[in-house]
Amino acid sequence: MSVLLQATDISFGYDGLLVLQQVTVAIERGDFLGLLGPNGSGKTTLLKVLAGMLRPDRGQVRLHGRPLSGLTRGEIARQLAVVPQETRLAFEYTVLEIVLMGRHPHLRTFELEGPTDLAAAREALAATGTSALEDRPFNTLSGGEKQRVIIASALVQSADLLLLDEPTASLDLRYQLEIGSLLAVLNRDRNVTVVLSTHDLNFAASLCRRLVLLRGGRVLESGETRVVLTREAIRRLYDVNADVSFHERAGHLTVVPIGVTPDAERATPRGGGLLASGAGAPDAREDA
Amino acid sequence: MRTRRSEQLRTIRSLLCTLALATMAVAQAAAQPSTPNRIVSLVPSVTEMLFAIGAGPRVVGVSSYDRQPPQVAGMTRVGGLLNPDVERIFRLRPDFVAVYATQDDLRAQLARAQIREFAYSNTDLAGVTSTIRELGRRLGLDTQANRTADEMERRLASTRSRVVGRARVRVLLVFGREPRALRNIDAGGGRGFHADMLEAAGAANVLADVHRATVPLNTEAILKLAPDVIIDLHYGDQLASMDMKAERSVWNQLPAIPAVKTGRVYLLLGDEFVVPGPRIADAIEKIARALHPDAFK
Amino acid sequence: MAVFWRLGLGPQTHEKMPNIRSRLALTLAVFGASALAACVLAPLVGSTPLSLRRVFDRSIPFQDNVDAQIFFVARLPRVLAAALVGSTLAAAGVVFQALLRNPLATPFTLGVSAGAALGAMVAITFGVDFAVGTLPTVPIASFAGALGAVAIVYAMARARHHGFSTNVLLLAGVTLNSFFSALILFVQYLADFTQTFRTVRWLMGDLDVGSYTPILAAVPFAALSFAAFATLPRSLNVLTLGPEAALARGIEVVSTQRLAFFSASLATGAAVSLGGPVGFIGIVVPHLVRLLVGSDHRLVLPASALFGAAFLIACDVGARTLMAPTEIPVGVITALIGGPFFLWLLIKRS
Repeated sequence: MSVLLQATDISFGYDGLLVLQQVTVAIERGDFLGLLGPNGSGKTTLLKVLAGMLRPDRGQVRLHGRPLSGLTRGEIARQLAVVPQETRLAFEYTVLEIVLMGRHPHLRTFELEGPTDLAAAREALAATGTSALEDRPFNTLSGGEKQRVIIASALVQSADLLLLDEPTASLDLRYQLEIGSLLAVLNRDRNVTVVLSTHDLNFAASLCRRLVLLRGGRVLESGETRVVLTREAIRRLYDVNADVSFHERAGHLTVVPIGVTPDAERATPRGGGLLASGAGAPDAREDA
Repeated sequence: MRTRRSEQLRTIRSLLCTLALATMAVAQAAAQPSTPNRIVSLVPSVTEMLFAIGAGPRVVGVSSYDRQPPQVAGMTRVGGLLNPDVERIFRLRPDFVAVYATQDDLRAQLARAQIREFAYSNTDLAGVTSTIRELGRRLGLDTQANRTADEMERRLASTRSRVVGRARVRVLLVFGREPRALRNIDAGGGRGFHADMLEAAGAANVLADVHRATVPLNTEAILKLAPDVIIDLHYGDQLASMDMKAERSVWNQLPAIPAVKTGRVYLLLGDEFVVPGPRIADAIEKIARALHPDAFK
Repeated sequence: MAVFWRLGLGPQTHEKMPNIRSRLALTLAVFGASALAACVLAPLVGSTPLSLRRVFDRSIPFQDNVDAQIFFVARLPRVLAAALVGSTLAAAGVVFQALLRNPLATPFTLGVSAGAALGAMVAITFGVDFAVGTLPTVPIASFAGALGAVAIVYAMARARHHGFSTNVLLLAGVTLNSFFSALILFVQYLADFTQTFRTVRWLMGDLDVGSYTPILAAVPFAALSFAAFATLPRSLNVLTLGPEAALARGIEVVSTQRLAFFSASLATGAAVSLGGPVGFIGIVVPHLVRLLVGSDHRLVLPASALFGAAFLIACDVGARTLMAPTEIPVGVITALIGGPFFLWLLIKRS
């Protein structure tokens, strides 16, 4: 198995606040990796650093062995695509136009889309089950449909590696399940490597084969989900007592929260973890 | 039977009458001075008139846009049509203020303070002399005012007589445009005192049938109007920095205009052409001289 | 509208004509034809009946040929100026709307036109009188004012070290607009009545250039801007998704935004210096064009430029003929058309 994306010893901060500290993540081809952690743990920032959208203060990210800093934005975009949490358009575009935007890094400056680009777009629409929506204005779609279209657009941009930032955070349950199963199908049938960030334990447990647990900008644990997702890990991550068990019908681990950990038993003191000096600063603000 | 009693009564009665009359006379004298002697003027043309009729020494404040006569140079400025400095006006303790008829707020304040006002409205040529006479009457300077007005009328009549019977020259009067360009041109239309000036100087205003005082024009319109003479007025602070040659030569953009072809584009400088005051007769004569030079030999 | 959709343009036509190439060709053909028609027909129309034969009669010396002068000095420069101003303002409007991700943005939102107006106002009020060649003061002063405004807005937007934020840009532009407008009022206050009148006239727009010099002076700047615009459309499309999403799609967001800002500001500065701040073109034309061809900037940008030219040429014909010999300021005509159009848009949306 080859390593697609490798982040080594990443540290990132701004305005004097450290958001990521000495984070190392390796993503292999065909992976379904979840970056799991509470709000403010740095998972969105880590995703952006992995995608080359943010430059780390220390450490390096390598894509196919090549450091991101040495690649142009176009080169990066051809090899990995990012699906944001929400997409809001200032102008009305049709679904097909949105999907075709994914072809941008593959076209030269004045080049116009040709039949191959159109075919790729239609194929991606089919893969995400949105072919019927081709001519609809994007803003008229439901939340789930929008996310599927954006995923199609990402597929057209890079068929290999998708990074998704809290992909279901703003969706209803039904759409959450739709997106989840879509990602599972893409990963299984098309060998798309998926990295997603989430704070939803069950969503991560149901889809991700491997997890990276983040708290306070540091990696708590990383490894296979069934190994890493334990009561103890959840307590350390969320200060919550939970029951973790394998659900026969669902076919994956499920997490049932039991109750809040009393303050005396908290894994880490309130407000700590982010600033190395631990000088009682409030939890880092959401880095979305 | 008329005794000494009735005689006494009569004396007392006439004494009382005299006393009453005397009191009234004194009261009246105390209540109102006979002529105003602290005058403020917000209207440049009125300021010029005041000085022309000899009220100059009584003027204590002039408008911010007054340039003439030279005596206004060091005087207190009180603003103008859009921005009268009410505080300053009152601080001068005037008893006579010349204002624009449209300055309602100021006029209301003056009325409340019981200060006499002279309300000025834009008028035609004949109105200039009648305004002068009216001013004279109000200020007790009838003789001087009439003299000034008469002299103006004499000059006007003289100009008129020189040009009478001569063919009227087709004139376009331009009183505003951008510097060094024929852009945003404003010309004199068929109404207002500019129209009267042209008429008195023996001109036929090419825009006589446009019933406006100000007519924004474009270059095509000017070519179509084909005036024989163009009068290009310039006034204000810009005069000092004007490049006369450059301003004159912008008209060469349109050589088909008869005025340009025959070289009869006259740049007339100074605000006597735009201030409807005592110098207007001078201004009209200057225009007439440009239009009918042979009438002034 | 239906005509356009039947022709194959329009937002929902991918079934009939998904091919961007053919759509682009058709858009350019249709809008190009309208612009060309406007350029050719407008000089033939006016308040004075012209004899075309006389206009082109070489035997009559130009000095004496009234018809030729009306055509070549009074009308043709106006048409060309209208084409230049209309196309640059419409295109700049499209670019600013994409940059600020707001369909209500206009070329005047970020203060460029206020700077130009201040420059012109100062030149008119204080009788500043210099010339560069045969180019008079006011256009030069207003261009200088425009450049000054652009520099100030950019400096303010860069003050924070996080690169280039369009939010900060918008705030800076709006702030500068207010500040410059206050300065303009102050200058007007200092001016005497006739100067105030003159400056108010300038603000209403005037395309009666009367010579080719101001147009030639504006052309290099417009050309530079259009060259930059040509590289932007696909990037502007992707930028609609948001700066972060665009980054992830391979757009160099900061340099694209910077290029969009400077080129659109330059275009606006040149246009306003030439013809005054003619309003509504920068917002009515892009909206109308989007209704006809969809939101793809590769279609919207060229179509807006061409339609903007045709639109302003038509408005200018109105300005010089409706109340002849009185000239109506062209900005009044565009406002009279733009205002009701906006009302209609508002009603249609709700």
